[in-house]
Amino acid sequence: MKFLILLLSIYLYSPLASSAEVDPRELIQSAMDHYRGLSSYSEMTMTIHRPDWQRSMSMRSWTKGEKTTLVRVTEPKKDAGNGTLTKDNNMWTYAPKVNRIIKVPSSMMSQSWMGSDFSNKDISKSTDIIDQYDHKLLETREQDGHKIYVIESIPHEDAAVVWGKEVLTVRDDYVLIEQQFWDQDNILVKSMKALEIKELGGRTVASIIRMNKKDEPEEWTQMSVQVIKFDQDHPDSLFTLSSLRNPRQ
Amino acid sequence: MSITLRMAWRNLWRHKRRTWLTVGAMIFSNLILVFAISLQFGSYQMMIDNTLKAYTGHLQIQHDGYNDEPKMRSSIKGIIPLADSVRQHLNSDHIAARGVAFAMTSSKERSYGLQLIGVEPDFEVNVSSLPGLIKQGKYFSDSNAAEIVIGSVLARNLRVTIGDELTLLGSGHDGSFAAGIVIVAGIFESGTADIDRSMAQLPIGYFQDLFGMEDRGHNIVINGHDLSQVSLLQHDLQNMLRDRNELVVLEWDVLQPGLKQAIQADLASAWFMYGVLIILVAFSVLNTQLMSVLERTREFGVMMALGVKPTRLGALVMTETAVMSGLGLAIGAFFGLMLTYYLSIVGFSYPGMEEMAAQFNLPDRMYPSLSVLSIMLGPSIIFIFSLLASIYPAVRLFFLQPVIAMRAV
Repeated sequence: MKFLILLLSIYLYSPLASSAEVDPRELIQSAMDHYRGLSSYSEMTMTIHRPDWQRSMSMRSWTKGEKTTLVRVTEPKKDAGNGTLTKDNNMWTYAPKVNRIIKVPSSMMSQSWMGSDFSNKDISKSTDIIDQYDHKLLETREQDGHKIYVIESIPHEDAAVVWGKEVLTVRDDYVLIEQQFWDQDNILVKSMKALEIKELGGRTVASIIRMNKKDEPEEWTQMSVQVIKFDQDHPDSLFTLSSLRNPRQ
Repeated sequence: MSITLRMAWRNLWRHKRRTWLTVGAMIFSNLILVFAISLQFGSYQMMIDNTLKAYTGHLQIQHDGYNDEPKMRSSIKGIIPLADSVRQHLNSDHIAARGVAFAMTSSKERSYGLQLIGVEPDFEVNVSSLPGLIKQGKYFSDSNAAEIVIGSVLARNLRVTIGDELTLLGSGHDGSFAAGIVIVAGIFESGTADIDRSMAQLPIGYFQDLFGMEDRGHNIVINGHDLSQVSLLQHDLQNMLRDRNELVVLEWDVLQPGLKQAIQADLASAWFMYGVLIILVAFSVLNTQLMSVLERTREFGVMMALGVKPTRLGALVMTETAVMSGLGLAIGAFFGLMLTYYLSIVGFSYPGMEEMAAQFNLPDRMYPSLSVLSIMLGPSIIFIFSLLASIYPAVRLFFLQPVIAMRAV
């Protein structure tokens, strides 16, 4: 979920100095710093699209700090109550149908998250990019009155990452426009794009994000955010296994 | 008996020891070839049978494209009625419908990602050896029971035994959450670690329910009497299914391309060895026949002076070789047959074979397969190469000048 938060909790009120030299690591870091230690509550719809079918799911999500996220499905009825809790790179999933909480083993982390084009790893590990990657500013350009920075991030030799590199496109108001995932043979595998940027919860955020595999243009997963509230005071007890099982909100 | 043949026979026994040595080389290599080729054919047959019997079957009906990219949604509608009509059409019970899904399977302590196969309990028994390999518990009998059969390695990894619960979590056919609790009904031990670690079976009714498949499944497995019928069956079925053009009928070598490639690679390397053996024998024949022609230069000179044509002499030399090779072929094939027949009954194994055999899905004893082809293939090739080797000595006779030849030492 963190990548979402990274995208969503991007601030307008501290735009980058327009002409100063930009340190790409700092750019990502400061974007992250803004949501680190911050909490949020959001309501969104995830749409999974395939050539022959499409499916939507509504969900709510609570975050606290960098490493804690709770997501719970609310619609459709059949799936309501399913949820995942992510804490310090560990992930648990709860299925009301069988009333069981199951820890997702590391061997399953590259599998799809809730049947979408996001992997469990995408959901739980996206903040690793700051420390486990080397960042380089590729390009700066002007677009629609904003400065846009394109940053290439290459993982360290010893980083436990499947990607060869990631390319991030960040706007000067910290909206992440695009994140590309390249494999180790330098081929673009999938990319996540902001399709709509608007003001929500008092900030400018990417309100519709689409994850798309490069060689399957007709297969994508889209997240659209209806409600987001920042600086929520979530109790720690919200992010526990018993709360995952018994919703109190 | 023509005069040439009689002369050839007598000429051969003018040097008993030399003839027997050459024939001995042929017998020996023929024996080796008969044994090795029969063993190879036998092991290929076993490799194919055991691999296909474990899971794949001879043929499968699938949704077009499923074999290249197995997706949950590339499914067959109304799979059980379809399997029934295939059973009727072929008048055979060796046909079973299956569904395939991926799910996280958890015991109290551990979780693993697993391939789950939904099977028809009544018919799976006929197409797969797994139901017969249950070591603990039993195979399911009810098509809707919330039960699972898993491999022994997986059972150990999950730390479960008969009667324990497993939780399954995955995505259904409609993208919804699939979750269920099943009881471990049986644990099989196929001997192949890969299968014992990664395969689990559920009754198809429960499987369809769990994964929201409605009446769908992913493949129908068909086993014929033996492999030679597969192509015929394929045409027959493809014809039967012509009004459902989203479906394809695939043969085992398409379903398991690795198997055929492994066999071809093994065959190629074996033929290299056989080639060396055959060429060595051919050279020893060349040596013998050249010697025997050279030492008879005077004799041939006299015969030519008396009016015998060089063609006749060439034919004589060729006949000598043919008789000698024929002896080698007959005796070699006979002993090869005896040895192979004996081993095909009692079986055969050598130290260190078990591990290699397990890798190729073979039992730890091998049984060579005896057939006219496996017996005659090697000896016939040796026979032909021996004849080819005697062409050079025979051709030399055409350049013989009777006067000079008669004076040769």
